Amino acid sequence: MPNTVIEAKNLTKTYGKKSAAFTALKNINLKIYEGESVAIVGKSGSGKSTLMHLLALLDRPTKGEIYVDGKNASNLKNNDLNKLRNERFGFVFQQFFMNANNTVLENVLLPLKIAKISRKERKKQAEAALKIVDLESKMKNKAVDLSGGQKQRVCIARAVVNNPQIIFADEPTGNLDSATGDKITDLLFELNKKQGVTLIVVTHDEDLAKLCNRIVRISDGKIISDQTVRKDYQKQASRKRETEAARVRNANEKKGGKK
Amino acid sequence: MKLTDIIITANHNLFRSKTRTILTIIAIFIGSFTIILSNAINSGVNDFIDKQIESAGGDGYLEIMPTAVTENAVMALSGNGAVEYKETGNAPSEQPYITNEQIEKVRAIDGVESFDVLHTTTVDYITSNKIDKKYKLFNLNLVPRGNVNLDVTAGRKPDSESTNLEIALTEDLTKTLGFENAEAAIGETVTLAIPNTIDCYTAATHSECQRQVTATVVGVQAPGVMASGGPRANLALFEKVHELASDGMSQETKSQAYQATAQVDPARVDEIKAKLKDIGLTAMTIDDQVGMIRTFFDAILVVFNIFGGIALLAAAIGIINTLFMSVQERTREIGLEKALGMSSGKIFLSFSTEAILLGFWGSVLGIALSMLIGFGLNALAHATFLADLPTFNIVVFNPINMLIIALIIMLIAFIAGTAPAIRAAKKDPINSLRYE
Ligand SMILES: Nc1ncnc2c1ncn2[C@@H]1O[C@H](COP(=O)(O)OP(=O)(O)OP(=O)(O)O)[C@@H](O)[C@H]1O
Ligand SMILES: [Mg+2]
Repeated sequence: MPNTVIEAKNLTKTYGKKSAAFTALKNINLKIYEGESVAIVGKSGSGKSTLMHLLALLDRPTKGEIYVDGKNASNLKNNDLNKLRNERFGFVFQQFFMNANNTVLENVLLPLKIAKISRKERKKQAEAALKIVDLESKMKNKAVDLSGGQKQRVCIARAVVNNPQIIFADEPTGNLDSATGDKITDLLFELNKKQGVTLIVVTHDEDLAKLCNRIVRISDGKIISDQTVRKDYQKQASRKRETEAARVRNANEKKGGKK
Repeated sequence: MKLTDIIITANHNLFRSKTRTILTIIAIFIGSFTIILSNAINSGVNDFIDKQIESAGGDGYLEIMPTAVTENAVMALSGNGAVEYKETGNAPSEQPYITNEQIEKVRAIDGVESFDVLHTTTVDYITSNKIDKKYKLFNLNLVPRGNVNLDVTAGRKPDSESTNLEIALTEDLTKTLGFENAEAAIGETVTLAIPNTIDCYTAATHSECQRQVTATVVGVQAPGVMASGGPRANLALFEKVHELASDGMSQETKSQAYQATAQVDPARVDEIKAKLKDIGLTAMTIDDQVGMIRTFFDAILVVFNIFGGIALLAAAIGIINTLFMSVQERTREIGLEKALGMSSGKIFLSFSTEAILLGFWGSVLGIALSMLIGFGLNALAHATFLADLPTFNIVVFNPINMLIIALIIMLIAFIAGTAPAIRAAKKDPINSLRYE
């Protein structure tokens, strides 16, 4: 059985107070295993992004707990939370969030800059990440000058630049035409298959969802179905675990040593 | 984020909205410039005064006048109304001149090393054997005795212990009297004409009652405050001039004097001044005399510093404003940085750094421009009214002062930046990312 990387227990999230209160998530229980690719599918407003933000420790649940590697995240100090997100998570947000006036390279290396990685090293890693998304040539361009698809690829590069264990992607193909969308999808699943990166993809696109080995459907803040379509990921995961995870951890230790 | 990265990023972020940032920096600059330049001018003036005092030496050198004279002068100046006259007999404090009794008392004070009474001297003209013309001499002063220096470009200070008649000319006078240069004048003689008071009552023409005295030039004074006192005589010459002028007068009238100088133990100046006061004499050190100029310039400095302070206060409000705008504009960016693991502390630090950098650039600009203007003013002064005083700068920059001013401005900027920086630090990543 593969390791559980993230576990949600009785997760409830209520926005607003009193009469304006709105419960976006109701009593969610979910376990995500290492190396999985999970699609979170549902109608607009069903609570997909909310769930992803909670799993990614960007927000705190109103009720319930989230365990990362078996540890209760609500017991973590802010600094440890920040470090966890910075070193082990990669994010692709629903709208591509970039600092428009910075260069593509600056945008991609932001997580490494926050991680206090040296100038030379972070440039090297950011260039490597841009190579993966095939945008090395745009390195020096301002982010604002890119096309929509290119922007999303920059966001993918930023999400993978820190060699994350888990990538959270909120509608990664939402704003893109199908050809560009496919390219993004390929990139993400390649990381999942070749490097054993756990993938959590929020989408309303059934085609994208079908590529994942597991589909979690939510409606009105509740999980209405949770099917594991394929189990082949387990083989990949265990195969990659020794090699890739060790490499990632080594890299993380190196980063830690620099502080 | 590393501190260097925070500083570089903050500076980059600042100049993203150039106009706003530059306007804020200009506001800070107005304050820093005013304060730095006015402090530099004040240092210049104080430096000048210090140099003069130092070049005059003058530790323990006192200029003495009867208290009655100084009080009358103060009374007349302040227009303090009528003072009732009281019969006080021959009380020393009422005397407008220094009495023999007072002289004896002063000489008896412990710590008084020398005491010279200055009789009033009138010299009609000065001339030399190099020229035919005669030149008016308005003022013949005594060379201070003791450790008071006389800055000379040639020769030496006239010796007040000597019985030779010695004089130190000024540079201007050296040329006027036909000497080639200062060196050439040393050892030459000059002739002074002194009107005898008694004779001149009856004489038909002034030249009939004039007596002449020949003095040896032993020094030429360097330009400076001391030289503005005109040529200076040693005690022997000074007494000779007085003798020629007062010849024929009664002994009592002869000895009347309105001024005196004393050389006293520098460590006991205050004590001796108090004792002199009891005797009815007011003494001033060189420091006392220039103290008034100092006070005047210090008052001007205070006014300028207040002005600069008000400018900085306005600039601080500008900093608060510009940073709040920038926090608002960069809400999403802050959300992204937080999502990617940047701590609230670092967010606070990066906005605070922007504030400090605003202060820094304002100070740098203030320092740069005030130095530019300061050096310009110095050059202008040396070309014009300070041509005679090449060593004096009216604007003197003190690096430590400038550093302190810059640090204070950066501190003010930091304090102004705290409110926006706290707001940025408190932003919630998810809500910030939602922000349109
Ligand atoms: N900060 C908030 N305050 C109040 N209500 C919120 C807030 N954030 C989300 N909601 C509400 O919670 C519900 C779930 O929102 P969420 O963004 O998770 O939806 P979603 O499933 O991601 O939808 P979409 O596919 O349109 O992105 C929505 O009804 C939304 O209005
Ligand atoms: Mg959403």
